[in-house]
Amino acid sequence: MTPNAASASPGQSRRSFLAATGLATAAVTGGMPLLAACGGAEDGSKDGTTSGKSAQKLLPAYVASNVVTPDIPARNGSAMGFTRKLDLAGLKTSVPKKHGRGGSIRIMSPFWGTPPKGDNAYYRAMNDLIGVDITWQNQDGNTYDEKLGAVLASSDLPDVVVIPSWNMGGRIPSAIIGKFADLGPYLSGDGVKKYPNLAAVPTGAWQYSIFGGKLRGLPQPAPSVTGIVPFYRKDVFDEEGYEIPTTADEFLALAKEITRPRAKVWACDDMKWTAFNVFGVLSGSEKPLGWNLADGKMVYRVETEEYLEALEWTRKLYAAGVVHPDARAVRGTAGDRFTAGQVLIYNNNISDWWGKMAEQAGQRSDLRISGMDIFGADGGDPTLWAGSPAGIFAFVNKKASKAVVEDVLAAADVTAAPYGTKEYMLTNYGVEGTHYTVEDGVPTKNDKGNQEVVNAYVMLAGPAPTIAHPDLPVIAEEQVKWQQRMGAFTRKSVFWGMQITEPARYTNLSDDFEQLEDDVVRGRRKIGDVQQAVSDWRKQGGDELRDWYRKLHDDTGSAQ
Amino acid sequence: MSHSTVPRSRAEAQTTGAAPRAAGPPAGERPGRKPSGRLGLRLRFRRDRTLILMTLPAVVLVLVFNYVPILGNAVAFQEYDPYVGDNGFAAMLRSPWVGLQQFERIFADPAFWDAVRNTLVLFGLQLVLFFPVPIVLALLVNSVVRPRIRAVSQAILYLPHFFSWVLVITVFQQIFGGAGIIAQTLRRHGHEGFDLMTDPGIFKFLVTAEGVWKDAGWGVIVFLAALASVSPDLYEAAAMDGAGRWRRLWHVTLPALRPVIALLLVLRVGDALTVGFEQILLQRDAVGPGAAEVLDTYVWWNGVRNQDFSYAAAAGLIKGLVSVALVLAANKVAHLMGEQGVYKK
Repeated sequence: MTPNAASASPGQSRRSFLAATGLATAAVTGGMPLLAACGGAEDGSKDGTTSGKSAQKLLPAYVASNVVTPDIPARNGSAMGFTRKLDLAGLKTSVPKKHGRGGSIRIMSPFWGTPPKGDNAYYRAMNDLIGVDITWQNQDGNTYDEKLGAVLASSDLPDVVVIPSWNMGGRIPSAIIGKFADLGPYLSGDGVKKYPNLAAVPTGAWQYSIFGGKLRGLPQPAPSVTGIVPFYRKDVFDEEGYEIPTTADEFLALAKEITRPRAKVWACDDMKWTAFNVFGVLSGSEKPLGWNLADGKMVYRVETEEYLEALEWTRKLYAAGVVHPDARAVRGTAGDRFTAGQVLIYNNNISDWWGKMAEQAGQRSDLRISGMDIFGADGGDPTLWAGSPAGIFAFVNKKASKAVVEDVLAAADVTAAPYGTKEYMLTNYGVEGTHYTVEDGVPTKNDKGNQEVVNAYVMLAGPAPTIAHPDLPVIAEEQVKWQQRMGAFTRKSVFWGMQITEPARYTNLSDDFEQLEDDVVRGRRKIGDVQQAVSDWRKQGGDELRDWYRKLHDDTGSAQ
Repeated sequence: MSHSTVPRSRAEAQTTGAAPRAAGPPAGERPGRKPSGRLGLRLRFRRDRTLILMTLPAVVLVLVFNYVPILGNAVAFQEYDPYVGDNGFAAMLRSPWVGLQQFERIFADPAFWDAVRNTLVLFGLQLVLFFPVPIVLALLVNSVVRPRIRAVSQAILYLPHFFSWVLVITVFQQIFGGAGIIAQTLRRHGHEGFDLMTDPGIFKFLVTAEGVWKDAGWGVIVFLAALASVSPDLYEAAAMDGAGRWRRLWHVTLPALRPVIALLLVLRVGDALTVGFEQILLQRDAVGPGAAEVLDTYVWWNGVRNQDFSYAAAAGLIKGLVSVALVLAANKVAHLMGEQGVYKK
């Protein structure tokens, strides 16, 4: 979970929806992060990864910061959870004096929802605390990848560009290396100690921010447990006496029982991403995570039996008519169908757990969302694959002056403040009285807070994965516990944690699979077409790419 | 400098704002002269400079936004990477040339041929099912005599044109979708529901129907204008000769519309490969690219989404060349039919 979760709102759930579908986008759009300095490089120094000693030299020192002890410590790759009442009077100060030198910075960032006015109370308060005049160029997060390529190709780049990993398809990795600054001189080793909150960012997230052999990204650390939760309407399940399924067949049977088109109720929305988890398919979120060693052989996710099984099961759901027709038509929003009771199960980013509860609190107080445990297809333990240690990065323009870079780092030091600090509170809740009210010691965002304190600053850099919902501590606990249970089944694939850039000629090699998946599950294409596509993929470069990964693995080992 | 009578200076003077003096002499030169042909370039320039100046802004716009971008087509013969230079142009200079490799890739891609087939089928359907609708509507509206009813019906016909595609498709989904009004009403009365929006087999009819609903009314305008220009004398004369309603339609109205119909047909054929972008992109996922991909969305998908710029540029170039050939052919046919067409040599 990202720190954004704490500031989730209706817009926030769109964001996570994107995160979910973004996985797909990344899978389809091609090449992934690049790296220099290493093995497997055939096209010069742009592809590969940076690990081992060369990475050690770049990484910032780690200085733990424990402002508030978490009630549920991070375990099994989960976030840490805070469920106790927050002592609002006793908030610590983690950035004692303003680092910012009063410069002005333009930041382009994806935004999910309706952006507030450029000049608003939240932005003013944050800029005041940071000591830098930051202007946000908020772009629609759902279509961010369509704009990003053009912006990066132009000569007029903003000072900072925020790029989620799922938007790093196509040639974006080459743009990151070509257009963004090396932050190593400011942060590597003890350099980071000037920024205590950045020094407390987990090392894995920093390692993952090494692009093209240089430390270029300011990361938003993410838990390694899958972010895709199969949510269900607990209130309806309890009332109707539905049992949580524990096998793929049970799920289908339950779905048939639930579906009553006459009453405009369908069991579920599109469940493809859950299917991948249920059947233990290698991660599709970033290309290198899709590769793994199985019995000494390097395989890609689309080549596995599990991949075909997952698609076949999802196809059965569609064929049985238990999926909402609008999901088949890819129109509207799954989360809205869920809260409206038209579907009782859907999958989305874990941030919806709190997001939907908070969104519906005023209107439907009886609505209760919960996440079901991911089950193994045959009822045993599932096999889940770890996600990357960071999901969203902020990059600084290569042409930025030293003063601008330092102002950006000053801002990131504030936004990365941990839970329990004044900086965290301002970043995630805004100004007391203006953006949130406190009742019985519980801060709750008001309308203005929900409008203004969304996205923006939290996109810059974040603290170690944190889940804290002072208004709904029960939800925070369920979220962390779910992550920990699922974390126990989570394994790391062989390239986990390494920021890898494939050679440019393979950039578009795997573009068509996501589309094919969507065609197959909706019954428009056959499983045989997938097998055919895989065999074409091998011939068109898949086998060469396999050799490339093989060599990369031989040269660098795995990061674990 | 502006007191000189040397033409060049005067033209200069005009651009610097000494306009009043400029208007006189050139106008005086015009009477009695044969049109342009025999005049020297300089004289013609002197004579027309006011007009030339007035068109200049438009010419600049066309140059900057239509002609300069044509140079960008060069990336179709490259393996273009926009990020190797500081700007798009510098990146072009640094990207490697690959000859016709992108075109070879395109022709070997079954998805491209799907897109071509879908585009042509859609074009055919639109030509047969969409094109005649505005003509019929125009005749209907034209036959309404009362101005008020006529105005109201025209307004109703035009209105959908101003809805965005997102809205139109959402409305169609709410009505004809699997959970739409019609399907739900049927289910409530014990029948099977249906889903028109996700059926690849009827997708092209659906797209055409959406187009008719949204834009047929708008297309009426041109034909109404043409109808307004038909002299009432012709109808009266025809009626005197005993022609009934249908004969008047056949022998007076339709021949009057023929040049306009021919012109629009030529334009439409030239645009044959452009069958709707936003509308189709929005519904592409509902039926899959096998049924919904057209050339424009194919270019968009590969260029913008997959950032395979050279590949997309090559596909766009193919589309452009075929379109030019179609316009020329259609124009020729129009001439053979004895109509004006779009242009004449």
